[in-house]
Amino acid sequence: MKSVLKLIRRFVGIMLLSSALLIILNFILLFIITVRQATNSQPWQTAKEVADNLFQNDNEYILPENLALELKKTDTWAIFIDNTTMNVVWHTDDLPETIPMSYSISDIARLTRGYIDGYPTFTGEAENGLVVLGYPKDSFWKHMWPSWDYHLIANLPKTFLTVLAINVTLIFMIYAAANSRLLKSVKPIVSGIQSLPAEEDVHIKEKGLLSELAANINKTSEILQSQRRQLRKKETARANWIAGVSHDIRTPLSMVMGYASQLESDDRLPKDDRKKASVIVSKSRQMKNLINDLNLASKLEYNMQPINPARQNLVAVVRQVVVDFINTDIDDKHPIEWETDEDLKVCFADIDEDLMKRAVSNLIQNCINHNEQGCHIFVRVMTGEDTCMIVVEDDGRGATDEQIEKLNRSPHYMICDENTSEQRHGLGLLIVKQIVTAHGGVTEIGHSSYGGFSVTLILPMQE
Amino acid sequence: MNSDYLKQKRILLVDDEPELLDMVASILNEDGFQNIKTAKTIAEAVAVSKEYAPEFAILDVMLPDGSGFDLMKQLKSTFDYPVLFLTARGEDDDKFRGFSLGADDYMVKPFLPKELLFRINAILRRSYKDENPLVKLPGSEIDFDRAEVIKNGKHIPLTAKEHSILAALYRNAGRIVTIDALCEAAWGDNPFGYENSLMAHIRRIREKIETDPSSPVALITIKGLGYKLIVEGK
Repeated sequence: MKSVLKLIRRFVGIMLLSSALLIILNFILLFIITVRQATNSQPWQTAKEVADNLFQNDNEYILPENLALELKKTDTWAIFIDNTTMNVVWHTDDLPETIPMSYSISDIARLTRGYIDGYPTFTGEAENGLVVLGYPKDSFWKHMWPSWDYHLIANLPKTFLTVLAINVTLIFMIYAAANSRLLKSVKPIVSGIQSLPAEEDVHIKEKGLLSELAANINKTSEILQSQRRQLRKKETARANWIAGVSHDIRTPLSMVMGYASQLESDDRLPKDDRKKASVIVSKSRQMKNLINDLNLASKLEYNMQPINPARQNLVAVVRQVVVDFINTDIDDKHPIEWETDEDLKVCFADIDEDLMKRAVSNLIQNCINHNEQGCHIFVRVMTGEDTCMIVVEDDGRGATDEQIEKLNRSPHYMICDENTSEQRHGLGLLIVKQIVTAHGGVTEIGHSSYGGFSVTLILPMQE
Repeated sequence: MNSDYLKQKRILLVDDEPELLDMVASILNEDGFQNIKTAKTIAEAVAVSKEYAPEFAILDVMLPDGSGFDLMKQLKSTFDYPVLFLTARGEDDDKFRGFSLGADDYMVKPFLPKELLFRINAILRRSYKDENPLVKLPGSEIDFDRAEVIKNGKHIPLTAKEHSILAALYRNAGRIVTIDALCEAAWGDNPFGYENSLMAHIRRIREKIETDPSSPVALITIKGLGYKLIVEGK
């Protein structure tokens, strides 16, 4: 608040100062112009001086040298009209020929208020007559009588523009001087605000006019940074917790899996007991997959899983996954068919091989998990326009349109931030989506032409 | 007779969980392995190996008195033999570290006994192949050491490529090996465009090992995926 008040005070001050300066400036200009223009009374005064100083010497009138020179300087002629004869008895040498040499009373009246032959005239009373000065034509504005200096009116637009330009320049100079400091202190604040959303650590020098604002921005940045650190810490703690739990479950689950598996293949046991053991084996394998998925999903979600993409032949990668399944899978209820076109030998994509293998094996495992009665699984690699596609589908029980819509749209419980009791799909598909998204690809879930479920992974192709 | 010599190998198991040690020992016993010693700590493992001179070791990564990686270095410094890590740590970093230090395989718990046995047998076959030059196939035998096939008493030589392909198949005997893995075995990294050459080599191998090459029983094609070598006794 303090700095805002300071700013307002400053602006009001600048406004008052500039107004005062403008008024003073304009007064000065007015004064200069007025002084420079000849005053209206000066010709009358000159006429009076000439009349007073004109003296008679042996029937001849003589004007002192200095006055004659002054008249010559301004291109002014003078005549002296005698009171009794009404004739011109004396005149300066440069009298124009068009000036009459004798005058009537009405002539005198006219010239007193104006002109002789276009020359503005001014009169001065002498002892025996009247002195008339004739100023050059166009030296006075033609008013009722010649009272306005011609140049004053003629130069009016020029004078006006000059005064305006001087005013504008002054205002601009005042503004620039007053605001350069403000602009200088605003600049770092603007750049600071701009870098706040970019998650950068912002530190602005707390100096100058807006130091308070700068301090607040610094504080905001600090709070944001510490919140980010807190969030990161929480996420790390959560991912570590999940990693820890899954680690601790692995060893006991090994025992369950190992011994159940031994019992399953023990010929000495009755068939029924071996069947029970086989259920334990298959369920503990599911738990194993769940642990792996949970761990990977949390790491992918919190960006703690390093992704190392390299140019790979997707056909080879997917083929290896299928072969691994066939090699390790004991049960014959879920045969996997390799449907890739024989002519498609390579399809290159930038992928993290381990993660992509995980995605594809999750899809195959999904088909197995959701079709306990058994089903055929069809795996295919195809090329689209600039894309590589991996299709995993089955002829099992599939899903309804509504379920598929939900799988495509709604977030998984792991990444859903609302309280939910709704049953959501397993982690397998979430991981597939996370992995594909991390590779800049798209996951499409739908119905299979074989009658069951179908998932297509679309990845950008590398030439 | 084929893999009996492998069952005689002296195996060292190291894990801090005695129950897990018992279980792995019983799995190995059931598969025919007879010489098994266990240890719960690094100190114990070092002591046992001095006396026992194991030929293969299965190690946990996290042990009460140190890391399994360090133990492996210590064990291998006296005598180099294959090591498999069996651990609850599924981190990729651990896996890479294990392999870069010279581990032969890395398995994350929980595991199926079948999978563990397959990996152990594959490692042993690869590490001690010199001790059993003759691999028995239905209809013929392969002598990898001398790179030849013995069929009906006749010795038929194998080319280098055929030898590489057969060796890769034998390491995974009874399992499918992908076309890509076989091409890599024969032509090295990034083997693209060798599929047709591979088929030609497979045909020639069949002529050498099969009694009736047109209906193969030892080297089986899994369409679109790869090939499988059937070894007797597996």
